[in-house]
Amino acid sequence: MSDNKYLEDILKSQNLADDSEQLEALRGHRADVEAVLLKHFEESSPTIRYGGSVAKGTLIVESYDLDVICYFKQDDTGTGETLKDIYYNTKAALENDYLIEEKPSALRLKSRNVSEWGTDFHIDVVPGRYTDDTKTDTFLYQSSGEKCRLKTNLDVHIAHVKDSGVIDAIRLMKLWRVRYGLAPTVKNFALELLTIEVLKDKKDSSLTDQLKHLLTELRDNSDSISIEDPANPEGNDLSELLNDGVRQAFASVASSTLGLIENSGWEQVFGSAETEDTGSKSTALRQAAAAVVTPSKPWATDL
Amino acid sequence: MMATWYDRDPTLLDGQKQEVQSEYPTLHFYRERDRLFVRGSLPLVHDDRVLDRFSIEIELPRNRPDDIPIIRETGGRIPRVTDNHINVAHGDICLFVPEERWRVFPTGSSLLDFLKGPVRNYFLGYSLKQLGEPWPFGERPHGKDGIIQYYSELLGTSDEKIIRRYVQCLSKKSFKRHWPCPCGSGKKIRNCHGSQIQELREKIPWAYAMKSLRYL
Repeated sequence: MSDNKYLEDILKSQNLADDSEQLEALRGHRADVEAVLLKHFEESSPTIRYGGSVAKGTLIVESYDLDVICYFKQDDTGTGETLKDIYYNTKAALENDYLIEEKPSALRLKSRNVSEWGTDFHIDVVPGRYTDDTKTDTFLYQSSGEKCRLKTNLDVHIAHVKDSGVIDAIRLMKLWRVRYGLAPTVKNFALELLTIEVLKDKKDSSLTDQLKHLLTELRDNSDSISIEDPANPEGNDLSELLNDGVRQAFASVASSTLGLIENSGWEQVFGSAETEDTGSKSTALRQAAAAVVTPSKPWATDL
Repeated sequence: MMATWYDRDPTLLDGQKQEVQSEYPTLHFYRERDRLFVRGSLPLVHDDRVLDRFSIEIELPRNRPDDIPIIRETGGRIPRVTDNHINVAHGDICLFVPEERWRVFPTGSSLLDFLKGPVRNYFLGYSLKQLGEPWPFGERPHGKDGIIQYYSELLGTSDEKIIRRYVQCLSKKSFKRHWPCPCGSGKKIRNCHGSQIQELREKIPWAYAMKSLRYL
């Protein structure tokens, strides 16, 4: 099998069918979240839209998310005077139903059901306020970085990725990020922008060439690579997304990945593209367990 | 604050890195201020086949390279409940009762031993559990009951009073052989279970027994 065919198979293995259990669950949670937000902020009647990897077409099974965008009108103050108020009031609205993990501009939802405590719903709620009546540009609260306000535009972001011509490379780089522990150091947003920027003149290259070029750039030039927010190129400072720690991590992991490709081939980078059926997986796992020399029994403590 | 072992001995850290990455190339070391993490995808391999993968984060201990590392599943795949042997508050996985480390992760073991031993065991077990099967090596009850079960197997008694006396004895930094034997015989330790207690003290650090006493 050629390297490019192998990478295409890896991409296929990372698809989620429209009627898959995961996407069905995601749609169910999305409806629940939307209902909570619309009920809680009934008087403000926010605009609810969807973003994230599902909307951008960059979904991979091992890391997918749906952004539930909750934008309030420019002159609405019912949800709070400031962007920070909006962010925390939205959090408060969701807290009865979900465990919330605060992200710089979003709220990650997890289960607070006792039997599945902390299970990730793959949903980020992004509260914000439209900058004007045209309902295009939006201000978001930002809890990290120099500015506490971020100007953004959902449609511009989605189009920037969807029309990039390098969706496959983005998906493989997202898989690389997950498999090599770059999450949470590297944000998906930064990786998407970076991939698009570095591959802007390589759209017609093969997937293997694209990825090798990208990894080589990350290894050799991670200090000088820069990205800008397509929704606000001059205004939003994304330097924190590529801080020294991120650049070092990129250079180190890219270097070892290129070493793997050179010495052992692509299959060592992403593993086998084949997926096993439940029955044979179960048998193989039991065989693996039977071969364990020193078994151990898990325990649990709440102290 | 005392310097971490990886700052005191960077060569030792480099050795551990090389050892881990030669076996698990998808695991990488990340330094965040004075904390050191290993993050990435842990493949469960058997007969050259990858049976499953889990996203993990291991926080390495600061003081000694062979202290027990903290491990978490980071892919959001395993619900954070005690039934999955996860500390609900922190997300730390309890791979084994600490007193059992002499058997499953003996002092002097490397990070790779940890990964190939109790860590792999846990994820193999969870993978099977997700397919509706029981934990392949069994599982311990939570909290106190798990401690009691462990000592019960170790000492060959289910008498909780005896177990408590043993744990008390093991929790002392030093012990005297003229103390009453924890088995309850009324004899002095030196005339009863002296050699057994000596052996247990060599296996079980007093600090672990001290922690378990809080449960009993």
